Amino acid sequence: MQIKEVKNELLNEKYYEISHLSGLKILVMPKPGYTSAYAIFATKYGSIDTMIQREDGSFYEIPEGTAHFLEHKLFESEDLDAFERFAVTGASANAYTSFDRTGYLFSCSANFKKNLEILLDFVQNPYFTQATVEKEQGIIGQEIDMYKDVPDWEVMFNCLRNMYSNLPVRIDIAGTHESIASITADTLYDCYRNFYNLNNMVLAVAGNITVDEVLEVADRVLKPVKGKMAQRKRIEEPENVINSYSEEKLPVATPQFMLGFKESHEAPERTAKEEIAMEMLLDMLSGPSSDLYKRLFDAKLINSSFGFEYFTGFGYSCALFSGESSDPKTVAEEIKKEIKLRRESGFDSESFERTRKKLYGRMIMGMNDVDEIANNMVLSYFAGEDIFTDLEICKTVTLDDVNELLANNLDEKYSTLSVIMPTE
Amino acid sequence: MYIDNIAESVRLCAVNTDKFKTCRINVTMAMPLDGNVSARALVPFMLQRRCAEYPDFTAFNRAKDELYGATISAGVTKSGEAQVINFGLTAIDDRFALDGEEIGLKCAGLLTKLIFEPLTENGSFPPDIIEQEKRLLKEAIENEKNDKRRYAFTRCESVMFEDEAYSTNCLGTAEEAQSLTPDTVYAAWQDLLKRANVQITLVGSMKVQPVADMLRKKFNSIERDPVEIKTKFINSVSEPKYVSEEMTIKQGKLVIGMRTGMKDENDSAAAMRVAVDIFGGGPYSKLFSVVREKMSLCYYCSAAFFRAKGIVMVQSGIEDANEEKARDAILAQLNEVANGDFTDETLSFSVKALSDAVLGNNDTPETLAAWYSAQLLSEKLRTPEEYAGEIESVTKQQVVNAAKTIIPDTVFMLKSNGEVGDENAD
Repeated sequence: MQIKEVKNELLNEKYYEISHLSGLKILVMPKPGYTSAYAIFATKYGSIDTMIQREDGSFYEIPEGTAHFLEHKLFESEDLDAFERFAVTGASANAYTSFDRTGYLFSCSANFKKNLEILLDFVQNPYFTQATVEKEQGIIGQEIDMYKDVPDWEVMFNCLRNMYSNLPVRIDIAGTHESIASITADTLYDCYRNFYNLNNMVLAVAGNITVDEVLEVADRVLKPVKGKMAQRKRIEEPENVINSYSEEKLPVATPQFMLGFKESHEAPERTAKEEIAMEMLLDMLSGPSSDLYKRLFDAKLINSSFGFEYFTGFGYSCALFSGESSDPKTVAEEIKKEIKLRRESGFDSESFERTRKKLYGRMIMGMNDVDEIANNMVLSYFAGEDIFTDLEICKTVTLDDVNELLANNLDEKYSTLSVIMPTE
Repeated sequence: MYIDNIAESVRLCAVNTDKFKTCRINVTMAMPLDGNVSARALVPFMLQRRCAEYPDFTAFNRAKDELYGATISAGVTKSGEAQVINFGLTAIDDRFALDGEEIGLKCAGLLTKLIFEPLTENGSFPPDIIEQEKRLLKEAIENEKNDKRRYAFTRCESVMFEDEAYSTNCLGTAEEAQSLTPDTVYAAWQDLLKRANVQITLVGSMKVQPVADMLRKKFNSIERDPVEIKTKFINSVSEPKYVSEEMTIKQGKLVIGMRTGMKDENDSAAAMRVAVDIFGGGPYSKLFSVVREKMSLCYYCSAAFFRAKGIVMVQSGIEDANEEKARDAILAQLNEVANGDFTDETLSFSVKALSDAVLGNNDTPETLAAWYSAQLLSEKLRTPEEYAGEIESVTKQQVVNAAKTIIPDTVFMLKSNGEVGDENAD
C-alpha cells in the first residue's frame, strides 16, 4: 500500500492519496479544529454512461436513467437499508447521480468509523429483487414528473437537446417513464458489476479524522475485486446543433432562457487549463464586472439571475448563458454582438489580472467546507489531477491563452437558444 | 466568543478562529413584519450594489474582484413576525493576500459604506436607480411562482395566517413594489438604521476591535429608537381551512399548515423540535418511512418546524389522485407520534441526527455566522453545543406532550388543470 502526501505551500494545506491494496484510491484531508467529517464513495458512472463494454471489447446499451435508478436501489439490502443503519449513528446520509458520476456520502459529528464502515459496506453489497425494482419505478416516476415542473431544469435540458443529436448528455439524468420501465434487477446487477468495481471508484474523506482511522476501517471492510476502470465509448457527434431555437410553455412569471454555444473537439475532454481559461473568458465577457452585464442590466433585459457556465464532460463542452428576461431573443443577440466585438478588440490585461485575482480568491474560499473539499477531491481524481492543480494553473494562465480561446470558440453558427415562455 | 453591545439594541458577536481560510461578517437587522415591507425589502438589494464612493455597480464589482473576489450579498427573510434583512460578506483571510493587504478590514469598510453611505441625490435616492430596483424586486416577487413547491408553501401561509402579520410576504407584493418612490425608500432606509434590532456577527481570524469601532461610530451617529418586535402565538384552530388551486403542472403539491401549543419561541422548543423530526424529519421519521417508502405515495414528504412562530408545515409532492390518501396518511402519522407510538430507538435516532447536524454548523464561517445571526432577537446567545445539549435531554414523554398540541389548521393543494406544457422547436 502506497501513501502519497499531496501538499500546497501557499495554502499550507495537505492531503493523503492512498493506493489501497483492494484497488481503491482513498483520499484523506484531515482538518484540525473541525467538529464534523464528510465522506464520499463515488464511482465514475453517471447518466452519460449508457453503454457497457463486453469482454470482447464491443459495447451494448442499457436503459436511460439506469445509473440514477441504481443509486436509489443501492440503499436497500436484505435486512436493514442504509438509512436505517445510519439512523443508529446519527449521520446525515445521501447520494447523488450526475452526468458523469454517482456518489454516496455522509456527514457526521460523531461515530465516524462506524459511519465509514456502513458506507463502504452498503455500497459493496448490492441487493436487488424484481419486487423492489418495481416499487422504485413509482417513486422515480414521481421524481421525473417533479422535474418537468422545474423551469430551470427544463430550460437546460431543452438547450442540451437542441445541441446534441447523439451524445447521452442530452438525456434526463433520471431517464423517462418508458426507459425506467424496462429496467430489471438483472440490468442493475450488470451495471453494478461493470461500474462498481473498486478500480473504477474513489473514496474521499475530509474533516475531523485521521488517515489511521480511515485505513483501519478500509482494511477491514474493503473486499479486493477483479476489474478495471470502465471504458467510456466515444460517440460520434456532428458539429452542428439540431435546433437553433426552442420554446416551451410553463407557468413562469418572466420568460427564462439558456443560450448555448456548442464546441467540437478532438480530445475527448478539455484540459484543466482550457477550462480555467474559458471560465476567465466568460467572466470577463459577461460576469457582473463586465461591460455587457452593465449594458443588459441598464436596458432592463436581465436581472441578478443572469449567469454563465462552462459545461464540460466526456465528449462534450459548451458555453451556457442563462437567466430570466422579458426579451430572451434580444439578450441572445446582444451576447453574440459582444462576442464579435471582443473578438476584434481582445481583452485588456487590467481586466484579465482582476479576473485572475477574483478566481484565485474564489478557489481559496472553496477550501473551507468539508463537503466541497471532498467532492472536489473526487472530481479532480477522476480528471487525473489533484485539488490544488487549478490554483496552480490559475497562476500561469495568460491573457494570450484567453484571447486565443476567444478567437476559436463561441461561434454563433453553433449556438442555440432555449426559452421557457409563460403559459398565459 | 466575544460580545459587545456597541449601541442600543446593536449587538456585536465575534467568534475568533483561524481554522478557516476566509472570514465572514453578517449585519442582520430586524423590523416588525408590517408597514412598509416592500420599501424595506428594496433597501438591502439596492444598497448591496453601489455606494457614494462607487456610484456605478460595475466599478463596485471590480473593486470586490480586486479584493480577491470578496462577495457581499443581501437577503430578506422572515422570522416569526419580524422582517429580517441581512448583509453577508465573505473575504479570504489576510494570510493569503499576495501583496500583504488587509483584505478583511478593507472589506468590512466597504460593507459599512454600503449600509451607511449610499449613493444619494438631492437628499433622496436617485430616481433611475429606484426604477431599476423596483423592476428587480417586482420580478423577484413574481418569479416566486416559478418554484411550485415554494409557491404552494407561501399560498398555504397566506390562507392560514389571513388575519395575522405572518401572512405577509417578506418581500411585500408586486403592487407595493410598483408604488415605491425614491422618497419612500429613503425614509425606509433611515427608519431601518434608527429602529431596527441589529446584530453584527464576525467569524474568522480578523481583528475585531477596528471593525467594532468603525460600526460603533456609525451607529452612534444615529439617534437610535429601537422598535419592539413581538410575534403572536396562536394555539387553537376554530375552523380548519381547505383551499385548492389549479395550474399547468405535472406533479401536485400538498401543504398542510399546523399550529402548536407553544406560547413563545422558548416554550418546550427542544421537545417540539424532536417531535416534528420524528413526525417528518430524517429517513427514520413517520412521513419518510411510511408515507414515502412504505406507501410510495410521494417523492418527498416532510414536516418543517418554524420555532419563531410555533408552527409546523408539512409539504409533499404527490399525484393529484392521491390527495385524500396522502392527507389521511399524513394526519394518521401525526396521531401516532402524539399517542407515543414510536420506539425509544426512533427517539434516539432523532436526537442523534439533530444534535449531529447542529454541531456541524461549527465547520463553515457561513453556517456558524448564520447560527448566531438567527438569534438576533434572543437575549442570550446559545452555542451549537448548548442547543445540542438541550436536544439530548428531551424525553419521550416531553415529545408526546409536544406532539399532542399539534393541530392541523390549513390544507392547501396545488393541482394540475389538465393542460400540458407544449414544447416545440424550429
